[in-house]
Amino acid sequence: MQQALKGIFFVMPLLFGIGFIAPVTAELIVLAGIAPPLALSPLAAGLIFGSLWGGYATIKGSWL
Amino acid sequence: MSAQPLETVAGRAADAAPEVRTPAAGPARDERRQLLLREREIAARHMGVPMWGYSVAALGGFALWVALFPLAMAGIIPLWLGFLVSATLATGGYVTSHEAMHSNIARKGEPLRWLNELVGQVSTIPLIFPFSMARIMHLQHHYHCNDPLRDPDYPDEAPSAWQAIVKTWLNRQPRNGGSIHHYKRILAELDSPASRRAQRDTALLQLGAMAFFFAMAWSGYALVIAAIWWLPRHIALSYIRFYLSWAPHHPRTKQGRYENTKVFKSRLGHIMSMGMETHLVHHLYPSIPNHRTKAAYFEMRDVLAARGIDVSPL
Repeated sequence: MQQALKGIFFVMPLLFGIGFIAPVTAELIVLAGIAPPLALSPLAAGLIFGSLWGGYATIKGSWL
Repeated sequence: MSAQPLETVAGRAADAAPEVRTPAAGPARDERRQLLLREREIAARHMGVPMWGYSVAALGGFALWVALFPLAMAGIIPLWLGFLVSATLATGGYVTSHEAMHSNIARKGEPLRWLNELVGQVSTIPLIFPFSMARIMHLQHHYHCNDPLRDPDYPDEAPSAWQAIVKTWLNRQPRNGGSIHHYKRILAELDSPASRRAQRDTALLQLGAMAFFFAMAWSGYALVIAAIWWLPRHIALSYIRFYLSWAPHHPRTKQGRYENTKVFKSRLGHIMSMGMETHLVHHLYPSIPNHRTKAAYFEMRDVLAARGIDVSPL
């Protein structure tokens, strides 16, 4: 159980990127009326941004 | 609650700071004893005062904080207003929980003990910081104030105010060696039922909050959650860390009872700094509630000055 929790918290930044940053980004894109590049939908753009940033934070151990 | 006998006051003071040290150039032993008696006499007058305001603030504040979500989701209040209210409640919640950490609302065995615990529990939920963890870490801070290894708040130290504000955020990074890692190490060293419960509660609250964040965000309310919980929490944590930890304890070089906390003048004033200008009084007598530390300080000021404490800021 403890190991499973450790694993979840280790990848939490990635989960946060997909689960929270992605939809926040999508809503911001819609709110700002910006058209994402490559004809991506706002949610697809949010998912790419959120998973990349969350993945970076998971590997680096910092959001910076 | 009524005024408490001096023996109790002295006992609590000893609990908070087992070792009494004074500045090297301080008064002689007999004079120190007289000063301590006067100090305790003043402190006793500010303990055991009515505490219902903290309970009303905590429970009412939590109810309002919960209500912000449906109000914002329904568009009844704008997000900016919800954000401002939430940030204020999350920050103020630490003040009410802080009284509960010191059992100032009701001590163990008293009829209203349940209320003390309830106030503590609900007050720190907006911070995603369980009361069990907050209490154990805060009491360790009192026992080992400014000890680089054993004071849980020691990572907040920074050379300047601006660097301290930045550090509050850096210390929250996932694997930066900041506060949470300091906490984990201290909890592992304590290895008690309370420390294990604190770790369990922290994991459960964090997982629960993240599940709520994700579910709400993917249901179309991502900006609501960001404005009502995520951003206010980060601002509140930085504000709390700055005013409750960095400002009164900087530069954290001394650990003595009269040296580990300083008197300072806040640019934002007494209330906006959550009463931390006179945090020294709290460290000397944790049973004096937050709203009485300023009055206690001004009554105690001459005694503290005779101890060699720099009281010039206030």
